[in-house]
Amino acid sequence: MAIRTQTIGERVRRREDPRLVTGQALYTPDIPLPGALHLAVVRSPYPHAEIVSIATEEAAAAPGVAGVFTAADILPTLKRPFPVAKAPDGGAFTELHIPARWALADKKVLTVGDPVVAVVAETAEQAVDAAALVDVDYRDLPGAGDSRAARAEGAEPLYDNVEGNRAFVWELHPEGAPEAAQGEVELSLDFRIQRLIPSAMEARAVAARLDGDRVTMWTSTQSAHRVKSSVARILGIPEERLRTIAPEVGGGFGAKANLYAEEVLVPWLALKLDRPVRWFATRTEDFQTTTHGRNLFVTLDVAADPDGRVRHCDVDVLYDSGAYFSRPGPTTPSLTGAMIVGPYDVATAHAHAVGAFTNTAPNEPYRGSGRPEATYLIERALDVLAGRLGIDPAEIRRRNLIPPHRFPYRTATGLTYDSGEYEKALDKALEAGDYAGLRAEQARRRAEGGKPLGIGLACYVEICGFGPWEAGGVTVEPDGAVTVRSGTSPHGQGHETAWAQIAADQLGVSLDDVTVLHGDTDECPRGIGTFGSRSAPVGGAAIFNNAETVRERAKALAARLLEAATEDIRFEDGRFFVAGSPARAVGWSEIAAFAHSAEAPEGSAADLTADVDFKPPGETFPFGTHLCAVEIDPDTGAVEILRYISVDDCGKVINPLLAEGQVHGGLAQGIAQALYEDAVYDEGGNLLTPTFLEYAVPRADMLPKYELHRTVTPTPVNPLGVKGIGEAATIGSTPAVCNAVMDALRPFGVEHLDTPLTPEKVWRAMQT
Amino acid sequence: MRAFEYSSPRTTEDAIRMLSAEGAVALAGGTDLLSLMKDGAAAPSRLVNLKAIPDLTGAHETDGGLHIGATTRLGPLGEHRVIRESFPAVAQAIAGVRSRQVLSMRTVGGDLLQRPRCWYFRAGFGLVPMHDGASMAKTGDNRYHAVFGNAGDAVFVNPSSLAPPLIALGASATVLGPDGERSVAVEDLYRTPASSDESEFTLGAAEIVTAVTIPMRSSSNATYEIRNRKGFDWPLAAASVAVSDGGARVVLGHAAPTPWMSAAAAGALAGGISEASAEAAADAAVADAAALSGNGYKIQLARVAVKRAALAAM
Repeated sequence: MAIRTQTIGERVRRREDPRLVTGQALYTPDIPLPGALHLAVVRSPYPHAEIVSIATEEAAAAPGVAGVFTAADILPTLKRPFPVAKAPDGGAFTELHIPARWALADKKVLTVGDPVVAVVAETAEQAVDAAALVDVDYRDLPGAGDSRAARAEGAEPLYDNVEGNRAFVWELHPEGAPEAAQGEVELSLDFRIQRLIPSAMEARAVAARLDGDRVTMWTSTQSAHRVKSSVARILGIPEERLRTIAPEVGGGFGAKANLYAEEVLVPWLALKLDRPVRWFATRTEDFQTTTHGRNLFVTLDVAADPDGRVRHCDVDVLYDSGAYFSRPGPTTPSLTGAMIVGPYDVATAHAHAVGAFTNTAPNEPYRGSGRPEATYLIERALDVLAGRLGIDPAEIRRRNLIPPHRFPYRTATGLTYDSGEYEKALDKALEAGDYAGLRAEQARRRAEGGKPLGIGLACYVEICGFGPWEAGGVTVEPDGAVTVRSGTSPHGQGHETAWAQIAADQLGVSLDDVTVLHGDTDECPRGIGTFGSRSAPVGGAAIFNNAETVRERAKALAARLLEAATEDIRFEDGRFFVAGSPARAVGWSEIAAFAHSAEAPEGSAADLTADVDFKPPGETFPFGTHLCAVEIDPDTGAVEILRYISVDDCGKVINPLLAEGQVHGGLAQGIAQALYEDAVYDEGGNLLTPTFLEYAVPRADMLPKYELHRTVTPTPVNPLGVKGIGEAATIGSTPAVCNAVMDALRPFGVEHLDTPLTPEKVWRAMQT
Repeated sequence: MRAFEYSSPRTTEDAIRMLSAEGAVALAGGTDLLSLMKDGAAAPSRLVNLKAIPDLTGAHETDGGLHIGATTRLGPLGEHRVIRESFPAVAQAIAGVRSRQVLSMRTVGGDLLQRPRCWYFRAGFGLVPMHDGASMAKTGDNRYHAVFGNAGDAVFVNPSSLAPPLIALGASATVLGPDGERSVAVEDLYRTPASSDESEFTLGAAEIVTAVTIPMRSSSNATYEIRNRKGFDWPLAAASVAVSDGGARVVLGHAAPTPWMSAAAAGALAGGISEASAEAAADAAVADAAALSGNGYKIQLARVAVKRAALAAM
């Protein structure tokens, strides 16, 4: 039945923006907390050292100081170390060490920035000044700034029981793997994918206050519920005594899905001192201690037929785990292995990964988590293969793409791709970018001279919509207004708009009638969180189903009000009526008032709430094709992006404006990986890029005008048909840009350069 | 936070007097000094604010040329009619600063006297960082360090945006101190220190720059800067070119411990700018460049900057 107020698919403006752009929104550091103390954390200046002694007397006597606490004070009171997921799905770990990690370093520090002493004072300035008076005596140990150094013979072990700093060994198909398909053409390519710093605009921040015997904490997180259960267990208090709130959160990109020391320290201090306590990171603290991403050495072997059809992929990863595992454990390299065949019909695949503990920040899921790596690897390999075989890069992709009739498609790595029309996205990109015209211009320049022009393609498929469940309760309130209780919470995505659209469409109400609650474990008691592009396909689906349940249950109430049989009740535009008599209708306010009245059957009011979690039967697999054209300044090596065409298929689209916003941000981060960003540690583990001066996040004017296109292939795994769009553009863009630059450099005999493709690197490649 | 005194005199005389105290440092826009203080690389006991001295701000034409007060902000200066019409080399250097915040605060004097961006210096190892008798920058990561004038241990580069164009245009600086006022060529504000105990500036104790004056000589002039990215970082290479009837000047920025005047490049342009003479000037400019272990790319960029500055001036 048509619903006149349909908003799904419309470019509805973000409801959250007025408060964000007028400075009304409250981020964690803005939460009013009269009388709050401020925490400053004394951090290790060494990548690797033993703590010999700590002298806190001078700091304790400094003006305004309310307390100075070391591991000796805090750790004995904690019930357990940080939680780490046992192991992800797919493949198997033949070795996995999960060292215990605590809120303060005890005997050893393992990275620059490890927390050693907590200093609390009346003002932030006093806390910082007093922290400078803490005297920690360290015995410096040799550090390892990357995975190869950590794995080298004689490297200093980070942990006594971890031989060779080998954090894990993971293998896809560890046993019973089918014999590798053979191909006449073989490639073996070595890659180094650089380390990246997620760089959320809002650095991490935590605040806490006692409310009677309960603790309320605010934290800049992607997952208030997980923080709550973890912190409650670490502190040894019942979960009911802890309320966790993610207020406005200024970006996360995966890094804020983890648990951090300050999220334990701040509520601990509030309990200990019976005062509100707050902390927020400086940018350098954030860069040193918030999880990083990517950072792997890879060898990819590919076997193919002479016509360019890929038969077998074998990926071998040396992964830099940093000094600790965060919550997810080593999921990223296994996702790289699982996604290595990309959108291509490859007969067999094998993947193997070794993790190394290094004296660096933990290296965890960062926008795309494993899929950007896999996509980059297979897309680079396809271009190298195309170049060696003399096949056009578009054609070699066309020959390898999984055709639509093969879905659901079981990959050689054991995944089941839900749905896809991959060639359609490729064709759309080629047409939108005038691929033939670009190739003609390239040929002209190569013949007549001119700046080197390169054209890059990347076809991608990614995996998202991870379960196992998500909450999205829907309630029609006594006045007929609608409340959505979301288990996921936004940090820029626009959930308040998208979730309201889903509920409004199902219930036939206007967006203004819908209130979306999120990120507060009291208001929304259940949830997992926002990461892995899962909010819409899992959390959105829960809201969709629950709103539908409320609507269908309301028909029974309408039947009573209208003195008719339930099966005769029709629903349209938020009005219930007896079939054939639309003039005599009741709306949500009448239904809700009746449900809460004495005349209604018992349980009627409760019928207006549905709160069943959505448990997806499988993951979703968004896909697309990106096309990038670049030209290179031959004198400086600087790369300029002339055109960027992004064709993304995320299934059905709830709100194109929001989806395009996700694509814009994703492209910026993927292009930045290709050209600009590089988090560098020296060989001993000192972070050489601790501020935005050294770490090159792009400015808007360093990015091209994006040309966005879409194909729509719904997924069958959720009722909305949506796949997720949070990470897709990051995944597609890095290889598209790299392939374009390498294409431009082909006349110079260059087949591959590792990212980031800085001007100097490109210029040097052109000189040889 | 380290405590410090703050004073805000209304006259240059008071300023000089207040600056005569031990540990006193002049504060103009603060775009460099405040970040040095936050990083712990500077710890003045007294800041003397120069921005409240009316005489020190604003630009106007005089018989001697365009007089620019030392606390004139870069943003407004870049909009000044005379700068736009006659001295594009200055306007282009200002446009290269890019950060609106910095353009709104940085002053002409502060730009000329900002401290090097050298990461050894900023990390507290001094202007001429030494370890076991060897230059830390020469043995360490020197990708952004000097490719000229680097035979000694000082290999930082002068970071000023305005020095190359002002020197190319023959500008002079007015310096005021306890012993009175003097006028020096802008290039004479700089020197290469032999050790971290020495200054990279020629100013005496309690001396300040109060103004610069650009002579109103007609010239073809331009600045060209090359950055790794378009953000508000410092250029990897910059060149300013000015060619007039009286001759040519070519000045490289971010290339040496001082703004680097290339007589050879200027000679190549003395007969006028053409595609060929620009190319010749570029080659001549880098003929005596010397790469350290990690900054060879900067020589290429210096070459490109000279050529493109010359062509832009044409």
